[in-house]
Amino acid sequence: MKVRRLFLGALGVMALASVTVFGASSSAHSATAAKAACKASIAVEAPFATGPAIQQGLEQLHFAQLAVANDNKSLGIKVTLGQNDTGLNPALATTRSQAIIASPAVAVVGPAGSQEVEAVGPLFKAAGMAFISGSATNSTLTSGANPTFFRVVAPDSVQGPQDANYIIKKLKPKAILIIDDEEAYSTGLVSVMTPIFTAAGITVNHQSYNGNDTGATLSSDLSSLVTSQLNPSETVVVLPWQSAPNAELFGQTMQQQGKTATLFGTDGTNVPGQFTIPGAFSSNFGPDISTSKSALDKALVKGVKKYGPYGPFGVPAYVATDVAMHAIASVCKAGKKPTRANVLAAVRKTNIPAGKNPLGLPIVFKANGEMKNAVFYLFKIQPNGKYLQVPSKA
Amino acid sequence: MAPVGVDEWVARSGDKREQATGLRGILVRISERVGWWPRLALLAIGGFVFAQLGINVNEQTVAFNSVIYAILAVGLNITVGWAGLLDLGYVAFFGVGAYGYALFSSHAFGTLALSTGGIHLPVIATIPIVLVAAGILGVLIGLVALRLEGDYLAIVTLFVGTAFVEAVNNIAPTTLGGNNGLFGLDPFHAFGGRISSVRGYYYLGLIMLIVLMAALRLLEHSRTGRAWRALRDDPLAAEVMTVPVNALKVMAFSFGAIVAALAGTLFAGEQDSVFPPDFQSIILITIYACLVLGGVGGIAGAVLGGVTVTVAEALLSSPTDSSYLFYGLILLAVIARVRPWRHMIMVVGAIVGLGLAARAIVGAISHSAVSGSAGTVGWIGRVMHHYVIVPSGPASLTYGKIMYAILICALILIVQLKGVWRLVAVVPTVYVAACCWESLLIVESGTTAVVMLGAILVVMMAARPHGLLGQRKVEVV
Amino acid sequence: MQIFIQTLVTGIVTGCLYALIALGYSMVYGILKLLNFAHGDLYMIGAFVGYFVIQWFGGATALIIPVPLLIIIMFLLAGVGVGGLGMAIERFAYRPLRDAPRIAPLITALGISFILEDSVLLLFGGFVRQYNAPAFIPFSTGITVDGVNIDVVQIMIVTVSVLMMLGLFVLVNRTLFGKSMRAVASDREAAEMLGIDVNRVVALTFFIGSALAGIAGVMSGLNFEPISSIIGFLAGLKAFTAAVVGGIGSIPGAMIGGLLIGLCESFSSSYISSQYSDLIVFGILIATMLVRPQGVFGQPPLQKV
Repeated sequence: MKVRRLFLGALGVMALASVTVFGASSSAHSATAAKAACKASIAVEAPFATGPAIQQGLEQLHFAQLAVANDNKSLGIKVTLGQNDTGLNPALATTRSQAIIASPAVAVVGPAGSQEVEAVGPLFKAAGMAFISGSATNSTLTSGANPTFFRVVAPDSVQGPQDANYIIKKLKPKAILIIDDEEAYSTGLVSVMTPIFTAAGITVNHQSYNGNDTGATLSSDLSSLVTSQLNPSETVVVLPWQSAPNAELFGQTMQQQGKTATLFGTDGTNVPGQFTIPGAFSSNFGPDISTSKSALDKALVKGVKKYGPYGPFGVPAYVATDVAMHAIASVCKAGKKPTRANVLAAVRKTNIPAGKNPLGLPIVFKANGEMKNAVFYLFKIQPNGKYLQVPSKA
Repeated sequence: MAPVGVDEWVARSGDKREQATGLRGILVRISERVGWWPRLALLAIGGFVFAQLGINVNEQTVAFNSVIYAILAVGLNITVGWAGLLDLGYVAFFGVGAYGYALFSSHAFGTLALSTGGIHLPVIATIPIVLVAAGILGVLIGLVALRLEGDYLAIVTLFVGTAFVEAVNNIAPTTLGGNNGLFGLDPFHAFGGRISSVRGYYYLGLIMLIVLMAALRLLEHSRTGRAWRALRDDPLAAEVMTVPVNALKVMAFSFGAIVAALAGTLFAGEQDSVFPPDFQSIILITIYACLVLGGVGGIAGAVLGGVTVTVAEALLSSPTDSSYLFYGLILLAVIARVRPWRHMIMVVGAIVGLGLAARAIVGAISHSAVSGSAGTVGWIGRVMHHYVIVPSGPASLTYGKIMYAILICALILIVQLKGVWRLVAVVPTVYVAACCWESLLIVESGTTAVVMLGAILVVMMAARPHGLLGQRKVEVV
Repeated sequence: MQIFIQTLVTGIVTGCLYALIALGYSMVYGILKLLNFAHGDLYMIGAFVGYFVIQWFGGATALIIPVPLLIIIMFLLAGVGVGGLGMAIERFAYRPLRDAPRIAPLITALGISFILEDSVLLLFGGFVRQYNAPAFIPFSTGITVDGVNIDVVQIMIVTVSVLMMLGLFVLVNRTLFGKSMRAVASDREAAEMLGIDVNRVVALTFFIGSALAGIAGVMSGLNFEPISSIIGFLAGLKAFTAAVVGGIGSIPGAMIGGLLIGLCESFSSSYISSQYSDLIVFGILIATMLVRPQGVFGQPPLQKV
């Protein structure tokens, strides 16, 4: 009994001592932290935990985290990143945006989807907060309703015609099959591209399958599309999809059924290691950083290695974060406080030279938040599955 | 005296409650003496005072969402809780309400030749139109569903939910917006006034909820309410007693639909946009979680469930709050579950001691193995930095994953162990949990939030299978 | 004709996969009257197990063991691993709720589903994986019927599914365990009084049902299904529908239900419209159920008064 009491006493003393140690060390810690010059917080909105686009969302989150870590070092600022899962769901994005607006965050990276941008645009407008998306490509977003919206990727009105013209001029099909996955991104691109094909005298066979509920398909839809809709005259199949694995599935099903046609995927399909059908094309917002020689790109590739492979959404998310970080740094440099208004003004004046960001373009915004001279890159998949960049202008 | 139909065991638990002594007993007796309408009034006053406390726009949004889910859960309770019909198409009526508002009170009809610019009816006219439409739709689906029972009914209603989203996506894309949705909707407007803040919508939602609760309370104790419960507990017996089974089923569907549509209009107004993904199965699942967690069959339970799920979800989505929640729940579990007191103190002491010792030993062997920073921001993170082992650099992620796997195995082990050994196992498990939290879980806080929500649901259901405010009831076998 | 045969093949292959998953649903429902909505996630875990087996043995393009051995190892590990996981879930999550209202385990299942999906995300990341089966099982190794290529994987899926269903049928109808299973299904309390270890029967049922889902996961991975944490939801939904249409609780019902859905899907998207295939499938099912409200193979329940 005595031993136990002694033991208890000892434990009590230990607990007390440890609390004291914590208290002392934590106060010492905060004293050093207070000296840091430029402190702010930003938030990222991406569908990384729920919904149909987790792969893309996690990629955006991880690249944004990396950008914050890198820029904190290189720009000498101390910015923290809050993460908000939106599940690619506009209602959830609204709730999360209200949380961000109520938090001290000064700028937002994201949201990912065009519907989400439409839903949260008015909120960020009212809060006077800049939000920079690395993947929302719907052309109407920059037509005036969202004055604090910026994007570092080209809209559908650039990608659609560019890809369509390439197909018309280089692949010269008489008839094509185009399949949307019933997502806003997909139907948007189809509505841009179809008139261009029709005007060029190409017969367009437009089909759709339901990719709504989940990113994956355990369904015979794709298989049946290959069986019944892919006619011998259709030498090109356009896949404006978010999901590269589904494009691969489509290609493999074609091989299984012994059919041939050239596949042409849009930016969502641009994932080396996932979409590997030889001879297929895939367009992308950014260049391929995995083979790049520049030190910045190499560091980036090394930095995200621990998260596994990545696709086309990481680099724009990195650059979108970059924009916010540079804006905060420039506000601090000018001796002002990094408030929302100041950061918004600084984002408008963003000027990151081509060599200093992985997109390989100078990052300068037009008045409507669109990037000046944004382009799309085009890749052709080699027999070994590697992506080879080809001139995208037809 | 136990009510008729409650078996002996339950009756005894009722006796136990009446005999409860001390402060708890007094509280129980007071709360039982208070009638339903003073409680409702208390809720109303509480709700209004809460919004006056200078809460920020985020808290207002969470409060508004709580009200929406509470209304939805109360409506689902009519169909599922009272009439016992497993309705998996409920979310479609929520969508009907939202799209109905967009059509009649905003610009959506502007694409038609007859109504250039849309018909911007005041909300006071729109809501009745939408509710009647939803009610009729509910009757139609109820009529189809009459032939089916239980899970077969579930499948048919599930189709209704899928069909709604498909229909919005594909039918009349210019009017309904297709999968681009409808945005820039008018705010709620009537009599020249308009609601332009989240707080305003919250107040309106609260009023709707209170009125709805009062009306449903009257309905619950009316002839119809009793007939519904008779139908749920034993359809055959009810039919023998000349209860009009079919009419009651259709009515339950229709009433549920009307309540869901009401929530839909409010939702569309506050969001000022509607998109098909807002009405997908995940929303339905959340509504069910609210209702079951709160306790199927009770109005107050449904409301409590709606608030609990929404608030838990909001807390978990903020990394700082979720850290408080994580460590708080562990602490609470240890303090509340470990008895007697000296055991509890010993366990807490051992947890602290083990961590400090382990960190000191590992730190002495390799500095880089402990030099990673704790993921939590703020004072918890600073405290934890001196307690947990987090390696620096990319290794921390792999380390966190290993810790996560160990943590799951340890949790399974704890449930299996008995007596003293369970206490002994708790100590390293808590430490592993802390290490895992700081190295992996808080870094991926969005994903972790979903895991924690899942864990909370599982634990709560295991602790209270009848829901938070549910009554124990003996199922007729 | 070619289109017809191809569509038929697709429908049967998908239908077999649905049927395997539906079997687990139906068995569990049969003995516990419990809708295990986390069942689809077990299928997902099975698919992941198969993927990691391929990686352990050198990856799809550089396998270090013969393909048949690889497939056997995949089936065994997925079956045992996922079966064990299913048993653990029953033990920890569902057993405390055995006497709870019928709707309560639905929420537990939801919680389990959240935990499983997002644990996979935490441990393995969100990157969608592929088996890349054509690299080690070429398309050319198959048979050709009227110009339609049916490859080895498709033949295997159908064979394995049919064998497993037959095995299950024998197990349930010809063995002592099957007898006790049926006893528990028809009246749990009476079975307990007769000395049947109900917990053991339930645990084994969960094991078998989950193992089938795990094996279905491996097979759909071989059939190029992309593997990620979210594939379980849709698979679970389809399987639930199949189980209900066939008559929930009935084993032949689950098989027929699965095949029916697979065929409806492939024929409706081949011949009518892929855009509305979900609606068409549901429409057909509902029509079926209005004619036979208890499902194709379901028995009208005895009304106890």
